[in-house]
Amino acid sequence: MPPAGGPEALSSGPGPRLPEVLSALARVALMNALQYRASFFVDFFVGSGNVVAILLPLAVVFGKTDSVAGWTWDQSLLVTGFFLMMSAVMGGLVEPNLGAVVEGIRQGQMDYILLKPVDAQLVASAQRVAPAKLWDGLSALVVIAWGLHGTGWPGFGPITAAFCLMIAGVMAMYSLWLLVICLSFWFVRVDNLRYLLGAVADAGRWPVDIYSGVARVFLTVVVPVALASSWPAMALLGRLDLALVVQAIAVSLGGFAFARWSWKRALASYTSASS
Amino acid sequence: MIIDVVGLSKTYRVPVKGEGLAGSVKSLFNRQYRDVEAVKNVSFQIERGERVGFLGPNGAGKTTTLKMLSGLLHPTAGTVLVAGYRPKDRVVAFLRSITLVMGQKQQLLWDLPPQESFALNRAMYGVDPAAYARTLDQLVAMLKIEPILQKPVRNLSLGERMKCELVAALLHQPQVLFLDEPTIGLDVEMQVQVRKFIHEYNTSTGATVILTSHYMQDIAALTPRLLVIDKGTLRYDGSLTALTERVAPERRIVVKGGPAELAELGFVPVDGDQVATVTAEETNRRLSSVLSRWPMVEIAVESPPLEEVMARYFHEGSA
Repeated sequence: MPPAGGPEALSSGPGPRLPEVLSALARVALMNALQYRASFFVDFFVGSGNVVAILLPLAVVFGKTDSVAGWTWDQSLLVTGFFLMMSAVMGGLVEPNLGAVVEGIRQGQMDYILLKPVDAQLVASAQRVAPAKLWDGLSALVVIAWGLHGTGWPGFGPITAAFCLMIAGVMAMYSLWLLVICLSFWFVRVDNLRYLLGAVADAGRWPVDIYSGVARVFLTVVVPVALASSWPAMALLGRLDLALVVQAIAVSLGGFAFARWSWKRALASYTSASS
Repeated sequence: MIIDVVGLSKTYRVPVKGEGLAGSVKSLFNRQYRDVEAVKNVSFQIERGERVGFLGPNGAGKTTTLKMLSGLLHPTAGTVLVAGYRPKDRVVAFLRSITLVMGQKQQLLWDLPPQESFALNRAMYGVDPAAYARTLDQLVAMLKIEPILQKPVRNLSLGERMKCELVAALLHQPQVLFLDEPTIGLDVEMQVQVRKFIHEYNTSTGATVILTSHYMQDIAALTPRLLVIDKGTLRYDGSLTALTERVAPERRIVVKGGPAELAELGFVPVDGDQVATVTAEETNRRLSSVLSRWPMVEIAVESPPLEEVMARYFHEGSA
């Protein structure tokens, strides 16, 4: 073996490269998901039904009325589409990873993430995927196209705004999740908070205007699920002015920065499960 | 010097709960905390290439110290420098120059073959593919794990898994190896193999090895220098031989199947042998008196087993 710390020693080399790390993580995440065949196929089959489960209540409501809180069926489809897109990203990429962090803190695998010379938040957020959520992503595109077919296709501006808002909304939701996970560094078990968060986020499938004032603010600012579902739809419909879009993006960037700061604070007080 | 530790302390705040259900309910609303000083004012230096053993009873603070040295835990007080870095800053160059193997935890991806974990570590440590292939070949050959590289980790035996853990931990050629009970739970033969590997790795690469273990054989075979930690404080820093001389300076002279007449020289029968316990100075005189009367007997001189030495040492500390 060559001498440690000699000319070949790594600590003097260039260090890990981000694209390589990301592709290695993605590879492992996919291989993990494909490891159990039965569970993969069952998840994939069940996942395909999610869109029906989400559209059904909407169809029931609009079977009785043409408009709910100023939203027509076609316009509501846009909200549903963006909600599905958010749930695809959150359920497919974010939740499996951040859920594993909690387990990792309890059982000690977090130690090994912290020992790697790669940003721990990145590794902790990119080790797992749930491929079945691909259905939600695909059906989101179909549902949004269906809605736009009814409302008429908007121009480049609203589409860009909607896209940016969707990213901002997902980022805000990710940040909220990360904050909850940070709590587990101190409290270890935060399962209930995670379930609660999941249940509240489910409210995002409806246009935010159907909720009363306080609830509307809550779903936009505290659990900003409306930012990822209703707001992009409003942008497509031309109901948002540019200033609001920019503010929403700025706020979600701020939220992300706060979540990252909290994560670093949480790492400093990490106690590591004893062996 | 590769490791410099001065006045290192770590205090945990742990909840105190009264007894039984009533205690649990009370603790839910009015939780009391207690500070536990896991490591108290510990200082030591380690030179490049040394093999050092951390020894101490359960809860003595060994693992906490290792975790502070590897940057997982932030010290409450004191300073630590490892390879010139402050571990708690977790800078890339520091993390690439150390490794931590924990016998009771694993980094290998449970559902995938070990080589997938190796490949992931290669990317995360930024190891050049050619250097990676070379190091991997060498480690696989040293540990003889070629046949198991394709098997999912969950199907490996504990010993096979530990060997793969070692490979995963060493692919980036770290300068400092922190090994926390690397032989725990392994059968005797596997323990010997792991010990041999660590020794070979240290001599061929010059990497520094810091090891904790409950198996005294690990310590006896691997680490010429010993740091004894007890109740969070460093009680001894020196060679194993010097510690044995101090705590248990006596020798056991064992005459295999010796004649009963040896009783005249102070021997007592133990399991068919005749045994006498004497001071180190006395040993030669006693040996020659035995051999002058019974020149053909098989005779052995033993130091007390390390377990006994340590038990006595810790007892001495608590007395």
